[in-house]
Amino acid sequence: MELAAKELHVRRGKKEIIKNASVFVKNKQFVGLIGPNGCGKSTLLKSIYKSLTPQSGSVFLNDLDVLKSSEKKVSQRLGVVGQFNEMSFDLTVEQMVLLGRTPHKKLLEPDQSDDYEIVEEALRRTRLQDYRSRSYQSLSGGEKQRVILARTIAQQPQLMILDEPTNHLDIRYQFEILSCVKQLGISVLAALHDLELAVMYCDYIYAVKDGEIYAHGKPEDVLTPETVEALYQIKCQTFINPVTKHIGFAYGI
Amino acid sequence: MQRQESRGVTGYFYYPIILLLLFLIAVSAVYSVSIGQVHIPFGKSMNILLHVLTNGKLGSSSAVGNESYFNIIYQIRMPRVIFALLIGIGLSLCGTVMQAVVQNPLADPYIIGISSGASLGATVAILIGFGSSALFANFGVAFGAFAGAVVTSAAVLLLSSIGGKATSVKLVLSGVVVGAFCSSLSSLVIYFANNAEGVQQVAFWSMGSLAPSSWEKVPILAIVVLLGSGIFLFQHRVLNTMLLGDESAVTLGINLSVFRKTYMVLAALITGTMVAYSGTIGFVGLIVPHICRGLFGADHRRLMPATLLLGGLFLIWADILSRILIPNVDLPIGIITSVIGSPLFIYMIVKKGYNFGG
Repeated sequence: MELAAKELHVRRGKKEIIKNASVFVKNKQFVGLIGPNGCGKSTLLKSIYKSLTPQSGSVFLNDLDVLKSSEKKVSQRLGVVGQFNEMSFDLTVEQMVLLGRTPHKKLLEPDQSDDYEIVEEALRRTRLQDYRSRSYQSLSGGEKQRVILARTIAQQPQLMILDEPTNHLDIRYQFEILSCVKQLGISVLAALHDLELAVMYCDYIYAVKDGEIYAHGKPEDVLTPETVEALYQIKCQTFINPVTKHIGFAYGI
Repeated sequence: MQRQESRGVTGYFYYPIILLLLFLIAVSAVYSVSIGQVHIPFGKSMNILLHVLTNGKLGSSSAVGNESYFNIIYQIRMPRVIFALLIGIGLSLCGTVMQAVVQNPLADPYIIGISSGASLGATVAILIGFGSSALFANFGVAFGAFAGAVVTSAAVLLLSSIGGKATSVKLVLSGVVVGAFCSSLSSLVIYFANNAEGVQQVAFWSMGSLAPSSWEKVPILAIVVLLGSGIFLFQHRVLNTMLLGDESAVTLGINLSVFRKTYMVLAALITGTMVAYSGTIGFVGLIVPHICRGLFGADHRRLMPATLLLGGLFLIWADILSRILIPNVDLPIGIITSVIGSPLFIYMIVKKGYNFGG
């Protein structure tokens, strides 16, 4: 599935948060969105997945005009792992993941055995089989994030949007989550903070600064010391990590 | 494929528990019919009940030979039990729905100002409205309360939609504001009314009572409550998604603000009807969904049927207590539900590990 978000403008109150940003995700491409806190990454993503309505611009998933289609139609194709996943009620992990089937269900349609198989598969992919009866509230941050990922996998989207999915997670969970997403083999658009992770997983990167796309291209082309400095206002040098053979970053030098 | 049930003991015993609740409701209803201020021997009550239920085929009213017994059972106690059952169902239903709608387990059916709106309507009807000629006054109070409930909830909805989406926080705050405004208006009416009898009537009304139940009122209440239950029993998918909040709901294809408004209008209509007939009966809509979440989890598919049945059962027993607790006194049922409800609620808050439905 291809995503084409063109010339988006988003205003909240009087402040223009996104100014003329365009983002493209090709079929099965893993695209990263990087940039400092408050640069508009989340807002940009929200305007793509219909949580916010942009003032102008267009969003297309293949032929589907996202801004003009119903939430249901969009959510059958597009899954989102968001930042904020707390709630005042409690469900079990399995019930939580089963909610991922919602977009594919008519209002009165019961869950079929297919749905349970899909949920089972999502639990397996996120290694949550032993957690199915656990209460969601009792889980740690990393486990909760895996549950949300499992729910999004159960949604069977062809494009997944992740908004800083690895926030607050330890190194192992960061790798687990991103590897799990990568293995799905679908198009992905992810806002990421960790540049080394971005280099490892992304096929293409958009760097956002002050609501505009500052640079875009292959990770090694975008993540130059100059760009990183301009984005984050911190001195930075890059090197080839002798172990991973990926770009490494040394900050503040 | 083997599916593991989710809620420990109650997971495996869910359907037996539902059956048990149904059975208890039936038994309690029969018991409730047989007791009251006028002592009617149990055998005779059963005879009359059988006679009525089987349309004269079984049991016998003539054998019992007491017209006034028959009237007490048939005209007073039976509609009253049905009222208790229906209002218990309705309050728990609206409580569960409101809690999901405002994403707050502390919400009750009256959260959007319905009780104070209904009180204002009833106060106006009693003190200014239709005078005190018996029958018409009664109708006037019900109408006033219903109108008050519907108007306030509409006002709350409008107020909370100003400037964009109606979020749950805005809903709750608007409910508080509109409620306070209605209460002050009620006080104003009472202050200037200079009508001691009427004021007492207002006070009595606001305590909530099943005493005004009658067969004429059953059909409307039954239709409203059962239709409402019928609708919401099949909304579990949306209700569950509501628990996740607006943001996640949109990504699962459900635009909450539309459903939220629809559900609130429905709940307001159901609550308004109940309030019109029986005043505000507190704590049922708060406590029953809570208990059920503790027992069955927050998944509405399992929660809803259990909540409705437990609510009905709870109110039947509250009604029984209101009639037998003090001999020869028919306590307003609102007092009973609050007396049972508040300590229960405190217990649930204090109890360690209670986390709103897990």
